[in-house]
Amino acid sequence: MTEMLNDVFGQDTRTKAQQLIARYPQSRSALLPMLHLVQSVEGFVSQDGIRFCAEQLELTTAEVSAVATFYTMYKRKPCGEHLVSVCTNTLCAALGGDAIYARLKEELGSDGKPLGHEQTSEDGKVTLEHAECLAACDLGPVLQVNYEYFDNQDPDTASDLVAKLRAGERPAPTRGAPLTDFKQAELQLAGFFEGRDLDVAGPSAAKETLRGNTVAQDRGWSAPVMPDGVLPPVPEKKK
Amino acid sequence: MTLAADKNTDIVVPDGHVKLTIDGAEVVAPKGELLIRTAERLGTVIPRFCDHPLLEPAGACRQCLVEVEMGGRPMPKPQASCTLTVADGMVVKTQLTSPVADKAQAGVMELLLINHPLDCPICDKGGECPLQNQALKHGRTDSRFTETKRTFPKPIAVSSQVLLDRERCVLCQRCTRFSEQIAGDPFIELLERGSQQQIGTAQDQPFQSYFSGNTIQICPVGALTSAAYRFRSRPFDLVSTPSVCEHCAGGCATRTDWRRGKITRRLAAEDPQVNEEWICDKGRFAFTYTTEPDRLLRPRVRDAKTGELRDASWTEALRVAAEGLTKAKEAGGVGVLPGGRLTVEDAYAYSKFARVALGTNDIDYRNRPSSAEELAFLGSTVSGTNPEHGVTYGDIEKAPAVLLIALEPEEEAPGVFLRLRKGNRKHGNRVFHMGQWTTPAVVKTNGTLIPCLPGEEADMLGRLPSEVDELLRRPDAVILLGERAAEITGLFSTARELAAQTGAKLAWIPRRAGELAAIEAGALPTMLPGGRPVTDSVARAEVELAWGLETGTLPTAEGRDLAGILGAVANGRLAGLVIGSVDVHDLPNPELAERALDSGVFVVSLDLRESSVTRRADVVLPVAAISEKAGTYINWEGRRRPFPVVITGTNRLPDCRVLDTLAVEMDADLFTQTPAAAMADLGRLGHHTGNRIPAPSVDAGRPNRPGQRHAVLATWHQLIDHGSMQDGEPHLAGTARPAVARLSVDTAKAFGVADAALITVGTDRGSVTLLAEFADLPEGVVWLPSNSTPATVRTSLGAGHGALVTVTTAANGAAS
Ligand code: SF4
Ligand code: SF4
Ligand code: FES
Ligand code: FES
Repeated sequence: MTEMLNDVFGQDTRTKAQQLIARYPQSRSALLPMLHLVQSVEGFVSQDGIRFCAEQLELTTAEVSAVATFYTMYKRKPCGEHLVSVCTNTLCAALGGDAIYARLKEELGSDGKPLGHEQTSEDGKVTLEHAECLAACDLGPVLQVNYEYFDNQDPDTASDLVAKLRAGERPAPTRGAPLTDFKQAELQLAGFFEGRDLDVAGPSAAKETLRGNTVAQDRGWSAPVMPDGVLPPVPEKKK
Repeated sequence: MTLAADKNTDIVVPDGHVKLTIDGAEVVAPKGELLIRTAERLGTVIPRFCDHPLLEPAGACRQCLVEVEMGGRPMPKPQASCTLTVADGMVVKTQLTSPVADKAQAGVMELLLINHPLDCPICDKGGECPLQNQALKHGRTDSRFTETKRTFPKPIAVSSQVLLDRERCVLCQRCTRFSEQIAGDPFIELLERGSQQQIGTAQDQPFQSYFSGNTIQICPVGALTSAAYRFRSRPFDLVSTPSVCEHCAGGCATRTDWRRGKITRRLAAEDPQVNEEWICDKGRFAFTYTTEPDRLLRPRVRDAKTGELRDASWTEALRVAAEGLTKAKEAGGVGVLPGGRLTVEDAYAYSKFARVALGTNDIDYRNRPSSAEELAFLGSTVSGTNPEHGVTYGDIEKAPAVLLIALEPEEEAPGVFLRLRKGNRKHGNRVFHMGQWTTPAVVKTNGTLIPCLPGEEADMLGRLPSEVDELLRRPDAVILLGERAAEITGLFSTARELAAQTGAKLAWIPRRAGELAAIEAGALPTMLPGGRPVTDSVARAEVELAWGLETGTLPTAEGRDLAGILGAVANGRLAGLVIGSVDVHDLPNPELAERALDSGVFVVSLDLRESSVTRRADVVLPVAAISEKAGTYINWEGRRRPFPVVITGTNRLPDCRVLDTLAVEMDADLFTQTPAAAMADLGRLGHHTGNRIPAPSVDAGRPNRPGQRHAVLATWHQLIDHGSMQDGEPHLAGTARPAVARLSVDTAKAFGVADAALITVGTDRGSVTLLAEFADLPEGVVWLPSNSTPATVRTSLGAGHGALVTVTTAANGAAS
């Protein structure tokens, strides 16, 4: 069985998995990033991926499955090159998010059948999902491609964006890092930047988001001083 | 707990305790106690689902909400009383006095029932269901939910014997917490989220646990059901009788539910000193063997004309048996092999029958590999074991260190395994396993393997790591020996020495349920009841007096042991055998046994079912199964485990009754007509206070060393295997651990089988072919399960633990 997994997850991935484990006092804490690591290889969490994590962390496959099925960021079917997440939570939905999602469903579908949630277009380029609040309500409706923001969208801009993605282009997000692909983004979520550290260097906050802060600075407002917090000691590394 | 009669009285609060008020009554409770327990002691039952006293608190179901006030300030929301610990000055109002708590509980109940199918009329749990009961007591009379209920396909099999109806589940996580915390087998988990949240397994790994049946019992709803029991009956139609498990030397308390003469299920009963509230799946599910079609219902005698066995009346069978035995007695003697699964009462009858009716000490209950050293150990160290002076389950839990030698606890003594695991989890005790590879039990007891060659264990005791030696010197440390100690020369002697040197307590945990009882009853060639040496004239005189025999009637020389008896039969020195439930294939040398039985010896067999022995017997006398008789087991602690008849009115006779009547036919009186009579007769002997059998003093043997052509065999039984007492229960069989041969990668390379999927382990007698699995065994050692394949270690290889074997690539692709 181990041999089989070696084919899927090569030495490089195993080394990365060990690096993840080394980051935490308890090895099982590494499960969340490790599931992202697995997605960076296969584009989803496969049964092999679950076994890989279980072996690395000395957990049972049931324990890994419990976590992998709980979080929606872990995909259980192979994803396309890009993951497009359209916010359809209350605010974005009201501002047009529902319309964006409806349009993309139609356009990405085939044989007259709209694409469903977490399904992938036939060309394998785009996986579509509707998402809960993406924490950019002030810029709604928003969508994300591989978790990078495209703010203030409407059905036309979104449709245009997706068309470009399918044509192999990688349009620049409104803010944040340049676009890569889903697997690359997953590797970053696992904590490996492979020389692209600048991607996360920021700043990626939008003007709208910082508006309150700017006003406060202009007027010399500040929050009351917090007492110096003493951080708890880092626990000892367990097996 | 102190209850104030009047609020003004001053209640004394002892150290480490706090005073609080529950429903207006002042209560003193130990610090750290959970509120729900304190209320319980007060007689107030707060409804609950996830709470279980032996599991860690979870606060998962929210059914136990109460109103709490601390320091005069009410907590803003009702609190879960199963996770909140008591505090000084706490004021608690349960549903009895707080409309808020009552409404909160009703609300939680309404939510729990939203997606619940309410299929009580066809649900196994209906009638004994905490959800049903508490919904009636604490729920609303109607639901406001008018939408469509969420449904799941039902049921899914999380293993071959545990079925899950997900829509009935209230997500209390008792099952997952049991598996993770108690059994150490986290193979079921909470999957998915939101309204799809459900219990399940990984796709590639069923819920494989020797303790899985406990989850069915503690599931507070009918979500987990037993494949064997599903839809068989309603709980209120069953008669429940307390019983004791017959499968290992653990002596777990069980409850047998039955109706119309048939057992429908077995459950764990509560016994805090022994099994707490858990039993293993063998104890729970393996009871159908008594109703297999080959069950013997009528006596049989071998027809003089045809030479075939034919049904006979009791009168005829007993007469033929008595005549045959009398003749055999005169023609050289009769040996007695009672087997290792008897109650004290039955074992005592065999013991007395041998001495009184047959005038011999040729009796040995040990139907397994055994040794003279072991015999001395049983007499000197094991006989008279009792929980007051010996090691107990509680001692194992509290011991600072436990050293297990030649004992695989999860396979051979599951209850002991659970205590070891609990001890490690709760008290951090250290568990050392002297064995051959890192078994699941080593991992789950957080233990340390002390690896050695099979057969090298005794020698290894002299070279223990200094850490172990030091820990064993701590007060209350424990050393445990297993069944296969008898296959390791010098182990009993060296273990005794080690115990004496370190002050650690020593206990022997055999595999079969009847071993301690048989020792107590004197079903051994060197011992009369109570461990009285047969060669000791004072001891003999005591027994002669109690048995009403003339002085000097009891045989004075030590008798033959199992091998001696079979050998004497094979070469014609013994002319008869009385055999209890003994399977030839369990014996160290099945070939010799078969030759002995075929040698024309007169055989009387007392058995439950047809076997290799009954087929060769001259007279077969059917006996009662465990559920059809009363009796007493003695577990490994030396604790008496009496149990009543479960199924009454079967007219089946226990061994003690059959032997009593047979003895009468032979002009001897046993006074063992009933188990109660047998027990009373044994009781009249009183405790033995005189000389004991001297302790063994055997040097550690030189183990077989692996060489170029031979590997050394390590072997023991898996809990769920081909044992005949698990017959007739396919759902249980489906949860057996796969039978594989284990060896290290280096050993596999050395024997040129590294690439082979199937390997053959052989001796000049025969071979066993199995899938190979790599494990951390010492170089040159191969491990086989003793009885998990059609070809068994004893019968096919004629070998045991520590024997030399060959290891080759399997000739043809088939496992045997
Ligand atoms: S299956 Fe039973 S024990 Fe397990 S979570 Fe559901 S209700 Fe609780
Ligand atoms: S642990 Fe032993 S006594 Fe207890 S249920 Fe299992 S087989 Fe029976
Ligand atoms: S609702 Fe869309 S980002 Fe918050
Ligand atoms: S019993 Fe308290 S939350 Fe379940």
